[in-house]
Amino acid sequence: MSLTDLMSMAKPNLESREKILAKLRRRELINCFLCIKCTSGCTALKLLELKPHEVEKLVNFGFVDELASSDIVWACATCLKCIQRCPQKASPYHVIMALRNLAVEREARVPEAYMKAVSQILENGLAEPIQKVTTRKMETCDRENLKLPKIKPPKESFQSVFLKALEEK
Amino acid sequence: MIPVVSNMTRIGVYVCHCGLNIAGVVDVEKVADYAKSLPGIAVAKHYTYMCSEPGQRMIHDDIKAHKLDRIVIATCSPRMHEETFRKAVAEAGLNPYLVEIVNLREQVSWPHIEEPEKATEKAKALVSMGVARVKLLEPLKRQRVSVEKNVLVVGGGIAGIQASLDLANAGFKVYLVERAPSIGGRMAQLDKTFPTLDCSACILTPKMVDVGRHQNVTLLTDSEVTDVKGFVGNYEVTVLKNPRFVDEAKCVGCELCTKVCPVKVPDKFNENLSQTRAISIFSPNAVPKVAAINPSYCLRLKTKDKTVCGKCVQACEAKAIDLDQKPETIQLKVGGIILAVGSEVFDASNMPEFGYGRFPNVISNIEFERISDASGPTGGKIRNPKSEKPPKSIVFVQCVGSRDKRFHEYCCRVGCMVSLKQAILAREKLGKNVNICVCYNDLRAFGKGYEEFYRRARDMDINFVAGIPSDIRSTADGSLYFDVFESGTNKLLELHADLVVLANGLVPSNDIGKISRLFHALRSADGFLLEAHPKLRPLECSTAGIFLAGACQSPKDIPDTVSQASGAAAKAIDLLSSGEIELEPLKAVVDEDLCSGCRICESLCPFVAIEMKKQERAGTEELRAEVVEAMCQGCGLCSAACPTGAIKIQQYSSKQVLVQVEAALAKATSKGGSQR
Amino acid sequence: MKVAVFWGCRALTSQYAYEMSVREVLPKLGAELVDLHEAVCCGDPVKSVNDFAANYLAARVLALANLSGLKDLLVPCNRCHFVVSEAKSLIESDEKIRSKIVGLLGEEGLKYDSNVRMWHVIDFLHDHIGLGAIQKTVVKPLNGLKLAGHVGCQILRYSDLGRVDDAENPRKLDELIDVLGAKSVDYAEKLDCCGAALTYSHVDSALSLAGSKLKALQGLSVDALVVSCPDCGMMFDARQKDAAATVGARLNLPVLYYTQLLGLALGIEHEKLGLHLNQSPVDQLLAKILA
Repeated sequence: MSLTDLMSMAKPNLESREKILAKLRRRELINCFLCIKCTSGCTALKLLELKPHEVEKLVNFGFVDELASSDIVWACATCLKCIQRCPQKASPYHVIMALRNLAVEREARVPEAYMKAVSQILENGLAEPIQKVTTRKMETCDRENLKLPKIKPPKESFQSVFLKALEEK
Repeated sequence: MIPVVSNMTRIGVYVCHCGLNIAGVVDVEKVADYAKSLPGIAVAKHYTYMCSEPGQRMIHDDIKAHKLDRIVIATCSPRMHEETFRKAVAEAGLNPYLVEIVNLREQVSWPHIEEPEKATEKAKALVSMGVARVKLLEPLKRQRVSVEKNVLVVGGGIAGIQASLDLANAGFKVYLVERAPSIGGRMAQLDKTFPTLDCSACILTPKMVDVGRHQNVTLLTDSEVTDVKGFVGNYEVTVLKNPRFVDEAKCVGCELCTKVCPVKVPDKFNENLSQTRAISIFSPNAVPKVAAINPSYCLRLKTKDKTVCGKCVQACEAKAIDLDQKPETIQLKVGGIILAVGSEVFDASNMPEFGYGRFPNVISNIEFERISDASGPTGGKIRNPKSEKPPKSIVFVQCVGSRDKRFHEYCCRVGCMVSLKQAILAREKLGKNVNICVCYNDLRAFGKGYEEFYRRARDMDINFVAGIPSDIRSTADGSLYFDVFESGTNKLLELHADLVVLANGLVPSNDIGKISRLFHALRSADGFLLEAHPKLRPLECSTAGIFLAGACQSPKDIPDTVSQASGAAAKAIDLLSSGEIELEPLKAVVDEDLCSGCRICESLCPFVAIEMKKQERAGTEELRAEVVEAMCQGCGLCSAACPTGAIKIQQYSSKQVLVQVEAALAKATSKGGSQR
Repeated sequence: MKVAVFWGCRALTSQYAYEMSVREVLPKLGAELVDLHEAVCCGDPVKSVNDFAANYLAARVLALANLSGLKDLLVPCNRCHFVVSEAKSLIESDEKIRSKIVGLLGEEGLKYDSNVRMWHVIDFLHDHIGLGAIQKTVVKPLNGLKLAGHVGCQILRYSDLGRVDDAENPRKLDELIDVLGAKSVDYAEKLDCCGAALTYSHVDSALSLAGSKLKALQGLSVDALVVSCPDCGMMFDARQKDAAATVGARLNLPVLYYTQLLGLALGIEHEKLGLHLNQSPVDQLLAKILA
């Protein structure tokens, strides 16, 4: 595409755009006509300046690379209001998720907590470590003294198959 | 098997380039040459535009010069120019039904644009099929039927009123059927009209009075069409006139009855924002200006107890109230029907996020219209519905229910102009110190004087916010607040309003399905009634004799409605003015000797065009199928189902179809070259 | 009836009160809970990393349900319910992905099952067990309590996927509260997000979201906030103090799971429902109830 963003001198990258479209499986998910409803109601706008309509339009133009390596795609609270209210069935949520996947593929900036969760799952099946909690009276409790059943970890085959799944693009 | 060719058949084949539409893909010269090689061809030519004047003259001259008796034209879809070519051939003295159109555009060049060689081979095959078929065509005559020179207009809004006036002034008898107790429709509910800010009632009521008084118009209010039979030029329509329990001839419209009636009823004309009585005149400026009783609310009619109430009967000096009035069934014979049944306004309670139905200060555009109208529930004063005080801040929200794949995908066309008008009226009535905002997606001001109207609104300090809110919230006192990201300034704005007006779109009316079935009027994907062709035939249905006017075909403003209504009237006049019409002869025909009277065709016919007639056969009386030619649409269901092959569609006999198959297969297996 | 249950991660590893109260309450209403063979993540955090792998994990949950031989699967966590619903929809509409996932599951001897009927606690109680049956089992009506319900985001949206309640006007949790004798209130912020998803990357913003909603609720003078998802529970209850600090407010709002509330109305003693574990000041609420 013969257009240039004169502020950053960036040009659209149609290959990256195709990558996102392939992840989205449905072209209409970036069919935004800028009613701005999504941004007007975005949970993450006030605090983190996430503008879902802007993400939609940037991706549609092809300005994908900058987005994929930015912090802004990690600002989404996944409240799903944007898809719910969009009159054109565009889906900033899915576009943002696709951009996140692309960021991971490119080993761009990814919040640590996500990769930690993945290694945790590989290790024992769960995304969170088992915690001890305290009551309001400051007594410590765990599954055992709360008489909750033991957690059954996944069988041995799980780890390698999950790793295989992680290799899919 | 190659069919036996009559030595007398002299066929002319014309291959059209259609500019580059066909010639850009198909090698038209090769196709013409191929045609020349087929048996029975006297002339085979190709030309740029066969439908043009020189093209048609070529056919005309060739018929005369070469004594052609069959014509094959390989061109675009027969839906485009079949009629044109039939006329051209008829002018040259040849029966117009000895013409075969072969579609080289929609069936060859357009779908096979990537494969020109194969496309050319297919074109040749289709031409050979056309040639084989044309040899078996028979000359046919068009039947003439007389038509009724009167028209049924369904719907008494501005569309129906305008069409009725045009028809009546042209000398046609009009039956104007309206289901409400008064005509006037949506336009009667409006305060002012854009972009002139004319008072709607002032420009509408003279037309309403004219149509009510016109000697050529029979006004049937409180009426609905319940059945339609017949065919173009000869419709038999059943109208049910519901009782209004008041004698139209006696009532003088004094409204004394309304004053004494004890039963309060939501006022539909005022969008239920106020109450009227069980007996009342439907609207200010009603035509006819006659009271009507709502039987669901009237105490005496509900209880069927003659001792209950009756205050209106006592009060009426004209003795016009007739509580025993019965529904009336009226049979009409009309030549044409104009559907002008209008549209509904989108119900925004389907979008709870905007609070309509929950928050009293969120209203619809049609409710605002009644509030703004001097004859409305607040006497024309704009008031915050909850506090009943003048609002200090009004926000209009656009595209509610429109341009929305969750509800209606189309643009309602009038929403922006209505909100501009209402914003301007609010500014004029409430003065400078009221904050007025319009939250929009795209602001569409497309018509004559419309862009200037938009400028006028901006000049009146009405704020335009480029962004639609995600939801609207309410405080305990009923005032509203919401966030909207304004894309012009890239600022997240928090808006407060004591009145929010939702620009609800126009949607097909609730009974559009019933109308569609009753009149055999198809619907488009958006739910409105479908025109015969979106560009070239926007005023009529594909069913002959049924015309369309106004919002029932698609949402539109008053100028477009009036234009379409006058156009539909002209179409009806065009159809019926000569007193007779010609019918296409491509209809079903029964060979009585083969008919066994099994009645399968009669049971299948969707147009009720087959009747069983008693006939004498060798001393016994037997039933034989007979086609009512005027009703038959030539769909072919009967022909396909008939077990004996007795009923056939003219020009679509098995032989006429199968000979094409044989030609196609012969072409496919031949190695090209002459088939002689 | 027997119901398989998939707990996800949060309930099993820190939000024990939710697990405890669900385990206590459901059998009293005739549902026997059967744990799946394994405890594994539904794939929620993996969605941001590799959507295919996330869908694989979600499909594996359905395969585990298939292994249990039961037709109904209870998923008490909103996020798990969404992830598995999306995975199901994708697998059923994309043949390529379906065959890849079925293949991977096959390597562990697992079978994908699209016939498993998924429930969240809310629709299981409201639609499957029914308000009538619940009312019959109430022994201690919670009269006089004014409660606000927080259903959460991922079981309401997006409607096209088929969710647990109406996205713009959810009533089920409110009706479940009312059937216990309490009064559920409507409030402007009802559909606002708790912010849990942002704890992966922007903790302060997450707490700010939770804090703003709590602040607004406190202004309504409700007796408690009722939640039904362990992530929402974590934000509003476990992290209420942090949220208060982030928005600079004094927050003092009791927060409990619907199943804890239901358990109280069924006369179950509060420690069995994990009410000693709630970090928010539920004692004042308990005092009101037991009075």
